[in-house]
Amino acid sequence: MNTLIKLEISRTLRNKKFMFFSVIYPAGLYLLIAGGASSTEVVGDSKLTLPLLMMVSMASFGAITAVLVGNSEKIAKEREKGWVRQLRLTALPGRGYVLAKIASAAVVSLPSIVFVFVIAAAVKDVRMEAAWQWFALTGAIWAGSIVFAALGVAVGYLATGDAVRPITMIIYFGLSMLGGLWMPTATFPQWLQDIAEWMPTHAYAALGQAIELGGAPHLKDVAILVGYLALFTGAATWLYRKDTHKA
Amino acid sequence: MTTTGNTFTGDGRRTGAPVVSFENVSKSYGDVRAVADLDLQLYPGETVALLGPNGAGKSSTLDLLLGLRNPDAGRVELFGTTPQQAIARGKVGAMLQTGGLMEDVKVRQLVRLACDLHPQAHPVEQVMEHAGITEIADRMVNKLSGGQEQRVRFAMATAGASDLIVLDEPTTGMDVTSRQAFWSVMREQARQGRAVLFATHYLEEADAIADRVVVLHRGRVLADGSAAEIKAKAGARRIVFDLEGHISEATLRELPFLSSLEISGRTVRIQSHDADATVHAVYGLGLFPRNLEVAGLGLEQAFIAITDAATAEEAAA
Repeated sequence: MNTLIKLEISRTLRNKKFMFFSVIYPAGLYLLIAGGASSTEVVGDSKLTLPLLMMVSMASFGAITAVLVGNSEKIAKEREKGWVRQLRLTALPGRGYVLAKIASAAVVSLPSIVFVFVIAAAVKDVRMEAAWQWFALTGAIWAGSIVFAALGVAVGYLATGDAVRPITMIIYFGLSMLGGLWMPTATFPQWLQDIAEWMPTHAYAALGQAIELGGAPHLKDVAILVGYLALFTGAATWLYRKDTHKA
Repeated sequence: MTTTGNTFTGDGRRTGAPVVSFENVSKSYGDVRAVADLDLQLYPGETVALLGPNGAGKSSTLDLLLGLRNPDAGRVELFGTTPQQAIARGKVGAMLQTGGLMEDVKVRQLVRLACDLHPQAHPVEQVMEHAGITEIADRMVNKLSGGQEQRVRFAMATAGASDLIVLDEPTTGMDVTSRQAFWSVMREQARQGRAVLFATHYLEEADAIADRVVVLHRGRVLADGSAAEIKAKAGARRIVFDLEGHISEATLRELPFLSSLEISGRTVRIQSHDADATVHAVYGLGLFPRNLEVAGLGLEQAFIAITDAATAEEAAA
């Protein structure tokens, strides 16, 4: 299985367009949104400035781009081409394919997270009180991206061919926007804030925000993410089995 | 007209437990019965050709055999376990028409992956040499021709020491030389005691390579035996002659041992179970056949005769 993981990683790294899209794009968007923002003014009741808030949002957004968009399209395409069917005829366990896909996505999501941090620190002079916060932040966002990797696998098994891109994009932009990754949810009307609170993307960004404030992630956010992880993994497994029967 | 695997009287190599066993297996897609009460056993060392017209259930049978689909009824076993378990143990090497290849990688990387995944893998270089892809080892998979892709699939199917090799239309897209090389490798595999099952629509391949031919028709086994037995079953010989003057079809229909009769212009074409007796009867009618030819049926004609007869029987029923 290690050979498959290595091969998947090298294929991902060779895909320059995808690397550019998921590594450069979130950092660029960060500069666009937080570039002119004040570094002292606190946003709503978040206790964080816009540059700090958006740093976590864009790192999360970048990680989601890498694991969700990359996985769903690749899996749907490879199912269509019959590669998944071919792999079923080898001794590779069923989960092996999915694990390799998630591992290769994780390799891209890490640089996209770090790159946002570097840009934020260099351009907007973002600082945190302790060095451990940077590592905790990286770790939390990287680990949390597993939830969206599972979603990517599920979408890859749900949709085929031409349908996968629009479906992925609707989910990707919908979740990013509703979860407050592009603009703080504090700017939303109350009814939208009530919905946003339960979005996996909101809980995901909240992990990072708690760490920025020097605390541990809130139990509620962790619970929401674990719940979504169970849901997406369950859906992915169910769709995979269904696909096995008619592969 | 239906026979089962038990009637096979090949060269007596059938020993030990079956490698593949279908017991009363049925599979439907909606209203279409793709596989109907299929009973089939394959044994070590056999090279078996699976024949059938389009829609006969060949692909469905292979899918069931490889555990890519589950049967509605009945049981499919490979080496006494489920297909999935047999595959996980590296017992099966398979090459499907519908199987794709990983893109954006080199041929060698893909073959290395297949070897890495096989519990009893052969060395990568050896696998590539046998499949005839050593020269294209450094090419990208998505830049290959159809025949080259086919050979890469073959390399993946033979990456390790599997006891059963399943091939679906393996030589499609290959030129004559690759095809010959392919089958010489396959023969070697069978000599080492492996069972080889292949679906094909090149009947000459089935005739030349298989020591057992299974003809499927509407999801059932229509005939099962050596190529010679299948030919004998179809109405062994073909008689062709020209007649002068009036030709009475009704009279010719009365000839003994006739299995088919076709008249076009002056030419009469007959298939007969006993050509000697039929020809004798032609003279007995006082006819004088010219340019008389008597020849054995090819497997292809035998195959058409058998499946046509089955279709006619079903239509009459």
